[in-house]
Amino acid sequence: MAPFVRPASAQTHVLVVSGVGGDAQFTERFTRWGSDVVDAARQRLAVPEANVTFLAEHPERDTSINGPATKERLEGALREIAERAGPGADVVLVLFGHGSDREAEPRFNLVGPDVTAAELATWLAALKAHRVVVVNTASASGGFVPALAGPGRIVVTATKSGFERNATRFGEYFVRALTAEGAEGADTDKDGRLSVLEAFDYARREVARAYEQEKRLLTEHALLDDDGDGKGSTEPSVTGGDGVLAASVFLTAARAAVAADTSDPEVMRLYARRDSLERRVAELRGAKSSMAVEIYERELEELLVELATTNRAIRQREGKRP
Amino acid sequence: MIKAVRAAGAVAAVMAGAAVAQDRSDGGRRAFEAGRYDEAISLLGAVADRGDENAARLLGRALAIVGRYADAEQRLRAYLAAHSDARTLWLPLGDVLRDRGRLADAELAYGRAAAPPGPDSLVAALRLAEIKEQRGEGSAARRDYRRFITAYNAATRLSSEELAAVARAVRHLGREDPQLFKDALRAYDDAVRADSGNLDARVEQGDLFLDKYNGTDARATYEAVLKINPNHPAAILGLARAARFEGSPEAAARARKSLEVNARYVPALVFVAQLELEREAYAEARERIAQALEINPASLEALSLLAATDFLEGDSSGFQKTVARIASAHPRYAPVYTTLADVTGRTRRYHRALEFAGQAVALDSASWRGYSLMGVNQLRLGQMAEARKSLETAFVGDPYDVWTKNTLDLLDNLDRFEGTRTARFRVWAAPAEAELLALYAGPLAEEAYDSLAARYRFQPTPPVRVEVYDRDADFSVRTVGLVGLGALGVSFGPVVAMDSPSAREPGQFHWGSVLWHEVAHTFHLGLTDARVPRWFTEGLAVFEERRARPGWGDDVTPGFLVAFLEKRLVPVSQLNRGFTSPDYPEQLGYSYYQASLVCDFIAAEHGLDALRALLQQFRQGRSSAQAFQSVLGSELDAFDGRFDVYLRRRFATPLGALRPLPEADARAHPGLEELVRRARRAPDDFHAQFLAGQAAFAGKQLDAAEPFLVRAKQLFPEYAGVDSPSWYLAQIYRQRGARAQAVAELEALTAINAGHYPALLALAALRDSLGQKAQAARALEAALYVYPFEIPVHLRLAELAAELGWWPLGVRERRAVLALAPVDRAEAHYQLALAYFGSGKLDEARSAVLRALEVAPSFEPAQELLLKIREARRDGDT
Repeated sequence: MAPFVRPASAQTHVLVVSGVGGDAQFTERFTRWGSDVVDAARQRLAVPEANVTFLAEHPERDTSINGPATKERLEGALREIAERAGPGADVVLVLFGHGSDREAEPRFNLVGPDVTAAELATWLAALKAHRVVVVNTASASGGFVPALAGPGRIVVTATKSGFERNATRFGEYFVRALTAEGAEGADTDKDGRLSVLEAFDYARREVARAYEQEKRLLTEHALLDDDGDGKGSTEPSVTGGDGVLAASVFLTAARAAVAADTSDPEVMRLYARRDSLERRVAELRGAKSSMAVEIYERELEELLVELATTNRAIRQREGKRP
Repeated sequence: MIKAVRAAGAVAAVMAGAAVAQDRSDGGRRAFEAGRYDEAISLLGAVADRGDENAARLLGRALAIVGRYADAEQRLRAYLAAHSDARTLWLPLGDVLRDRGRLADAELAYGRAAAPPGPDSLVAALRLAEIKEQRGEGSAARRDYRRFITAYNAATRLSSEELAAVARAVRHLGREDPQLFKDALRAYDDAVRADSGNLDARVEQGDLFLDKYNGTDARATYEAVLKINPNHPAAILGLARAARFEGSPEAAARARKSLEVNARYVPALVFVAQLELEREAYAEARERIAQALEINPASLEALSLLAATDFLEGDSSGFQKTVARIASAHPRYAPVYTTLADVTGRTRRYHRALEFAGQAVALDSASWRGYSLMGVNQLRLGQMAEARKSLETAFVGDPYDVWTKNTLDLLDNLDRFEGTRTARFRVWAAPAEAELLALYAGPLAEEAYDSLAARYRFQPTPPVRVEVYDRDADFSVRTVGLVGLGALGVSFGPVVAMDSPSAREPGQFHWGSVLWHEVAHTFHLGLTDARVPRWFTEGLAVFEERRARPGWGDDVTPGFLVAFLEKRLVPVSQLNRGFTSPDYPEQLGYSYYQASLVCDFIAAEHGLDALRALLQQFRQGRSSAQAFQSVLGSELDAFDGRFDVYLRRRFATPLGALRPLPEADARAHPGLEELVRRARRAPDDFHAQFLAGQAAFAGKQLDAAEPFLVRAKQLFPEYAGVDSPSWYLAQIYRQRGARAQAVAELEALTAINAGHYPALLALAALRDSLGQKAQAARALEAALYVYPFEIPVHLRLAELAAELGWWPLGVRERRAVLALAPVDRAEAHYQLALAYFGSGKLDEARSAVLRALEVAPSFEPAQELLLKIREARRDGDT
């Protein structure tokens, strides 16, 4: 169980940018991915329509696109979010497209002039009071990690450096994690919501599997940085370092939001019991390496049985079937 | 005046004669250097007769180089008798005598040449030291070699020949101090720099490159020599050796070319004999060795091969005599045992190879080749720790040995491998795939063991070690030095090594069938004490594959039958040649299939017991001819004829429909219209029908393609290759929605070729769509023995197993999904728990569901299952 869990709120702002494709195939792909993320944000994350912005290469092709993917529009959209978003709001920026790292200056290809990592860092500086998630799925995107890392920031890139210049597949699987096709498999702790960490992990593994099956050398190594040190991890986890914050920020609606709606004191008590049991399972799991296997298994089973019984009681109280 | 004129005329005549002699001498030298030896002999002979010492020396060398050793000796001795002050002829005379094995006489000649300050004294001193070495006086020889370093350091100027002698001496010393090999190379460089026409020095440098496993530089050096003198026998032989080092089939042809220049060139005869031994052609090897020994009875290399031939043919008395003969010439001659270890290893007798290698290092503690062979054979016998120790010793002594280095690297990699035990097997695989492969490889190997033990009434000593390599390069290192390998798997008897299905493109090879094949070899090797001929064990192993499951093992192809029609298959009586020295690349594969058909034929005519009886014959050291005579009552030649009839009968239909493609046709790319026209003209020609059908299919003209493909299938119903008519027909029927027809085609196809991965998956999907769950599950199961790394295949098979109530299968498949590290591990553990629960294995179900909930405590279905398991266990307790 991740710490600091809180419901995805109406205070989440999502900005999706599908950059220049270079050819029809890439343009179509980047736009489709962007559109899928926008749909997921509205439907699965329940982000209000007004809080979702989608910039793409050809705005005329889709009514869900709010404007062209230019540097000016990107800067403007971020400025607008900074003005509108209340303190503590989550801001999610997702970039689909090509990137480059000319003269050690990481860039993302936009219509017209490209945006550099340094420029983006300047614009994001206005979002100090917010948790910011930046997902750059472009090639040669690794340089965005040191440029954008900071407190309260989760930075995900498709590659580990500017030298990984081949077109990436990370975006494809990241989108799949958010959509119905992959969401179930990506929600690895089965709590009914998808954390940034889970989405990252799903995409990373599926990319590796795809390359392996095609007998190709893995030419992209995704990074996640959320401890602010600017050194992304290829395998972040909830156990410390990179991954802790990403496990607590969700890209689909949270179960706790449902709990908050109930007025039945018994249900409230059961929810509290369940939360407590889940915490104890997490604590026990943390102590696993220092315990004898049999004792660990027994204690784990007892806790899980109690948790299962509690959940059953909640469902009965709420009139739901398992 | 007249007198004066006459005198002047005489002087002029003498001067003219001298000029002619000089011309001939120069022409002779040029001819010699260009390899026109007959011309050189003719020109130099005349000049030598006039008393030209240089010409006489060159003449002696030219005669020797074409194998006219007696003539060379006679001419050199005659000149020396007539010119007692001729000092430069003793060295070539010594060389001729040495090459005939007359070491005492050679020593006398070299002694004369070595007397300082003669022009050949340094080179002759080297030859004398080498004779000492050849007699087993190693310490004295090494003492002499060391003097060459002193001579090199002290001399202000050495000739090219002298520098080459220094290089050679230093090279000898390199055996105990490998750093000296670099000095030897430098000295050879100096020698070539001093005289770029010193081709012998360049060839020796090439030999040194090759000796130190640098085939590329060796080849380049020999080729440079041959540009100057295309008939240099040692350079041609060097290229042959380099070809053998590189595994190129041109080694034998090159060596024969060397013998065309000098049919009595002992090193070439020995080399050819070695190749003959490697392809198990003992009579031919013996003939070459006899020729070599007739020329040089003291050749330790030839005697070593004779000992090896004696041993391989089971002539123990001959073997003992030959070994004693070698020992009397050189009491501590280790190479005889490394030769024996090498050839016995190549003929699969690894225990014996290890013993011989042990004898080599016992005789000579600096026999690095001996240590290397010990290590390689220990590895083949599964003695991993001992192998590492031997190889490390070998590598310290010879750090240039890339094979030893690669094998040590392989051992490091093997240390990472994870092992799984079954009753009689230990399966080792790379960590990422060990868990998955263990689910299939272990049980399959056990099944093969039981099946084969029942058939052969023999049980190889367990455990059998199975190594499954995820990198083809590692598998190649494991099998280095083996001849004519099918390159997918190998059995050393107690050890089986094979490629993992992950080492190749998905669906490219049938790993299950390969494993069965190799386990069959383990039985054959054990049953015959490794005396089974290569061709028979390969044929029998493919025969066993076909008996293991429908569609396993090789099947007939148009290429095979066309080769049969064109008489490009090797007769059964010589079938080993098809494995050890195939005439063309496809022949190796054809030989596997052909040998398996021989087993089919024997089983059909004489029963399965005849195959076992043949193995017994081989165990007793009988040759194929003797074994066939004894068991089948047939001479091999007569068997060839009967087998030919069998093939014509068995494949009568396709043979009637196959015509060899004219070469022009094979290159041309006719369009669809032309192909259709041809097909209509030749309704009984398989290729015509098939090509028209294939082209129409490619052009998406399915209705047009169908009748041609149907006809092609009628003409060759046994053909089930990746692009067989059935495969295209199945796709046509599937696209038309005629699922039952598509199923029928795919069933027919996979019944013959169960290695057709796309066909198996398509069949499973069609069966599934028709609600034929059991058949769908069986098709997916079959596909896993071709490629087991696709999660969706395992998931669907697991679901089908659950629907069918086949819980053990369901458990295995759920475990397979987990072994493939799915992203959603909680779900995978939960599904495994369900399968265990379904099969009544409550403890395992509890453990699996705890793993699911450990990852995902809120996972409601898993929570419910946990409660159900708990209740069921409680009920069980009460």
